[in-house]
Amino acid sequence: MATRLQFENSCEIGVFSKLTNAYCLVAIGGSENFYSTFEAELADVIPVVKTSIAGTRIIGRLCAGNKNGLLLPHNTTDQELQHLRNSLPDQVVVQRIEERLSALGNCIACNDHVALTHTDLDRETEEMIADVLGVEVFRQTIAGNILVGSYCAFSNRGGLVHPHTSIEDLDELSTLLQVPLVAGTVNRGSEVIAAGLTVNDWTAFCGSDTTATELSVIESVFKLREAQPSAIVDEMRKSLIDTYV
Amino acid sequence: MPRKPTRRRQLLKAQPFTFSSFARVASAYKVKRQIRHSKVYRKSFPNSSGNGFIDHAPPDKSEQSESSDEEEFEGVVQADFAFFDPKPDDFHGVKVLLQTYLDDKQWDLSGFVDLILGQTTVGTVVKTEDDEDDGLYSVVSTLNLGRYKDHKCIMELKECLLKVCQEKDVLDNLRSLLGEQAQNVGLLVSQRVVNLPPQLLPPLYDALFDEVSWATEDEPTEELRNSFCFKFYLLVSRIYKHKNAVQKKGPSSSSDEAIIYIKTEDEIFHQLSSWSFSFPLRTQQLATRELRNYRLMGLVMVVEADKVSMFRQQLQSLINES
Repeated sequence: MATRLQFENSCEIGVFSKLTNAYCLVAIGGSENFYSTFEAELADVIPVVKTSIAGTRIIGRLCAGNKNGLLLPHNTTDQELQHLRNSLPDQVVVQRIEERLSALGNCIACNDHVALTHTDLDRETEEMIADVLGVEVFRQTIAGNILVGSYCAFSNRGGLVHPHTSIEDLDELSTLLQVPLVAGTVNRGSEVIAAGLTVNDWTAFCGSDTTATELSVIESVFKLREAQPSAIVDEMRKSLIDTYV
Repeated sequence: MPRKPTRRRQLLKAQPFTFSSFARVASAYKVKRQIRHSKVYRKSFPNSSGNGFIDHAPPDKSEQSESSDEEEFEGVVQADFAFFDPKPDDFHGVKVLLQTYLDDKQWDLSGFVDLILGQTTVGTVVKTEDDEDDGLYSVVSTLNLGRYKDHKCIMELKECLLKVCQEKDVLDNLRSLLGEQAQNVGLLVSQRVVNLPPQLLPPLYDALFDEVSWATEDEPTEELRNSFCFKFYLLVSRIYKHKNAVQKKGPSSSSDEAIIYIKTEDEIFHQLSSWSFSFPLRTQQLATRELRNYRLMGLVMVVEADKVSMFRQQLQSLINES
């Protein structure tokens, strides 16, 4: 189910939060409402962690992560790094990387299997991404924009991209990512998808300006209507291999 | 989407680019042409705050328009601004400008923006001529508090103003203005980017007050016509107040001003206001060296509608001399 909310009058939810299948990061400040909305949806399933990155609240745009790991920019302070290492589950590898393009959330879009990155990212960073996040990395642009992390949001089940993406690009990206993609908007016509929306496999949060049409597109492309978090743990448990002896 | 021409009958000649009623009149005053050939667009005002102003060295260059050569950018930008009626497409631009209207309080800002955009007869947005840019530089409008009193955003706004008013003597005035007299009160909303050229201000405010008087004649129903017969204008704005609260109006030993007005016209409004109060803001202000002795405060003023013509004259002379 998709939830609409605001952070201090701003509808840019994806700027102030980061949601994955294993954890959720939320910015400090704003009213308690913001934090408690996330808690209400997620508390039983994944940890919701309040943090800052580099002393700022724009954590969603500075970090990139999935259930395997979290990548932080070089200006993350040691205390923040330690706090995140302590608060996140052990299987999540938290890594601070030296990369000139420090807004990792704007440069990297990923789910648990594939990542799309900014074309100018360093080779070492690309290797780090593949290593820490356990994904296959593709350098791409979206509708001519190099900030792939800003103009698309995708989970393991579907993705939403910039409204001006051509059909050919949509097909190409869909093949790379192996998920259905749709070109659309969020927050009443805003093209910066990842700023207005944050999503994982069973839930999504978007800005309160999002219209009912946009919301129904989001719920259908990310397949949120039937999804329940317990499904991943319960029904799939038989097919998940925990240890290999 | 093509813009529909407004219902104004004062067509002077066909204007291909702008359909705003004001712009047709403006071209008769040749204001736009003046702006077209005007020179420096980043000037400091005498009383302005240093906050947000990029002070380029005043050019002793020629006053000819510069070609847009990126490497030789010397601080002179040529821009054509156009005034338009508010449209639903302007939602995001207007919302960004009004983000801090009520400090950091969480309120129905989207609803408020919708009210402004819904009122096409009174209200102006300032954009550049070339449509692709789509950047909105300023918005002015006046909303009748009585007409919109049932909207959530107006109710929240009234509640917020009543809460922040800490001066007992004006609180009763405020309460009556927001309560029984709401039908006669216009909330004057005026927000713009910090570096908008001041030459635009007189035409912008002229446009607003002219549209208000035209609306009292042209609106389709009597109720609407009466809703624009304002007796008072209510303004919510921001100022920098000196921390030592120097209240004396006479010459003081320090050369610091008691109040620095972020928007120039606020000084004139403040002088002409019947009453006003200031309140502390919760958002942190930028700490610059010039402003270390000042605190950012909100300012609420009420100006009687009769004083509008004086305001227009004073604004014109203030801008012309600076």
